[in-house]
Amino acid sequence: MSNTLRSRLTPYLFLLPALLFMATFTLYPLASVGYLSFTEYNILRPPQPVGLANYQRLIGDGVFWLSLRNSFTYLLVTPVIIVSAIALAIVVNRPLLGIGVFRALYYIPVITGAVAVGIAWQFLFDGSGGPINGMLLSTGMIEKPIIFLTEPGWTLPIAMMMTTWMGVGYYMVVFLAGLQSIPEDLYDAARIDGCNEFQKHWHVSVPGLRPSIVFVAVISSLSALKVFDEIYVLTNGTGGILNSGSTMVFYLWKQAFRLQNVGYASAIAMVLLVITLTFSIINVRMLERGEG
Amino acid sequence: MSTVAEPMSTGRTRSVRPAWTRHLFWYGLLLLASIVTVLPFLWLLMTALKGPSDAVFGFPPQFLPREPTLANFARVWDQLPIWRFFLNSLFVAALTVTLNVLVSSLAAYPLAKMNFPGREVIFYLLLATLIVPAELTFIPGYLLAVQVFQYYDTLWALIFPSVFSAFNIFLLRQAYKTVPNDLIDAARIDGANELRIWWSVLTPTIRPSLATAAVFTAVTSWNALLWPSLMLRTRELYTLPVGLMALRGMFTADFRLIAAGAVMVIIPILIAFIFAQRYFVAGLSGAVKG
Repeated sequence: MSNTLRSRLTPYLFLLPALLFMATFTLYPLASVGYLSFTEYNILRPPQPVGLANYQRLIGDGVFWLSLRNSFTYLLVTPVIIVSAIALAIVVNRPLLGIGVFRALYYIPVITGAVAVGIAWQFLFDGSGGPINGMLLSTGMIEKPIIFLTEPGWTLPIAMMMTTWMGVGYYMVVFLAGLQSIPEDLYDAARIDGCNEFQKHWHVSVPGLRPSIVFVAVISSLSALKVFDEIYVLTNGTGGILNSGSTMVFYLWKQAFRLQNVGYASAIAMVLLVITLTFSIINVRMLERGEG
Repeated sequence: MSTVAEPMSTGRTRSVRPAWTRHLFWYGLLLLASIVTVLPFLWLLMTALKGPSDAVFGFPPQFLPREPTLANFARVWDQLPIWRFFLNSLFVAALTVTLNVLVSSLAAYPLAKMNFPGREVIFYLLLATLIVPAELTFIPGYLLAVQVFQYYDTLWALIFPSVFSAFNIFLLRQAYKTVPNDLIDAARIDGANELRIWWSVLTPTIRPSLATAAVFTAVTSWNALLWPSLMLRTRELYTLPVGLMALRGMFTADFRLIAAGAVMVIIPILIAFIFAQRYFVAGLSGAVKG
């Protein structure tokens, strides 16, 4: 009797630690942030319920809308990453001498971390004599240096370039695995049909990579929606002049941990949750269509 | 332009071209991508090696240091406990990986190999948490750290919230699924209990997936910035990314020192990558299928 009870309990006991951690660090915080979004809370005094006041405030908050727009603009990173990672995967999929070294090399930006990379990028884009300005000046493309890092219009594009640069190596590996699962005879057939190098990849590689493309689109767009590190490092924690680089997570962080508006920040978190959920549903639909 | 494009337009002319020109073309592309990848790091290194008389910024840009020196590294080393930051990062990563992989593989086993009521519900619950950005949990997580667990400003604050990972559970569940049932049945007949089966029969067979999960978790932990910077106040407890941010704040006047700090932070993970490269890169294909 006790033996059967024990064997019935076994699967739950195996799951227990994971479920406990999930409940404490994911489910409870979600419920809590939902509750806090209806309160005014500055950590010092207990939360005061204020109904929908935080959400009403969001509607009139220009910085919130700017952050929302910036987060959506950031999604442009996804197509750029997909195209460049596929191109790179096709190049490193050739059995050339030393190809392993190149593959490893392209993976380095993935692992080095946003702070070190951000420092390198701040340096490259420096307005008073950084290498990028140096190159642009010497080729005559510009006449005086661009102050990239403090120019509001440049904050977001530079962060997006940095995200792309840091991510391409990772997605290249995903596509490389996808390419290697495409049967070789499909390429032979394309060759016999008279496809050139480009057509061959357009007609065989790209359709064959469809599952990987969907996967990368999902992963990279979700991480684009919640970008923080790049903005934080590149703007020294300011979000850029006039909040030009502020994104959803950045604004959430600023309201919660710089300005102590915890209730208001929770409302921002809830908006982000709704956006990610909507996005995920769209992505799942895409996945189902891809399989069906 | 059209003359360049022409040989590419038909498959036949392509194969007529000698092999080495084709190789040259591909190596050219590889080299171009390498320059884009490596140049920012190389420039950082060159800047770190520059002496006081070398220009850091300027037109035209000066790449190579005229009088290379290690003084910048020495000064950063003297003024900041980089060694301490490194040990903190190592401690956090090691414990996070151990606990995370242990908890994940415990949870993955019944999800892959047992039938029990509620399995689907639990599975979809886990799937749903995959969507939730961790950043959303930071406000309550902060309150938990200060008010409930009281591990604010300790390294534990970085470890416990990272123990649960739906992604790793899925990865390991996929791996357990590939283990033949006969192996498990044989062990059961031999009288082994489920914990024994999980530990000594199943776990050794999925070692590559465990390594993938471990490396993934380690890199994420190693590079984490936002949460550690919220949790750590005492300088001696900083992890490398938080320490590097602090360093940048300290040395705003001299970019050579910031560059030297950044290089020192990059070196450990680069060494780990060189030695465990196949785990960093290879396991990813499994993650996609999962």
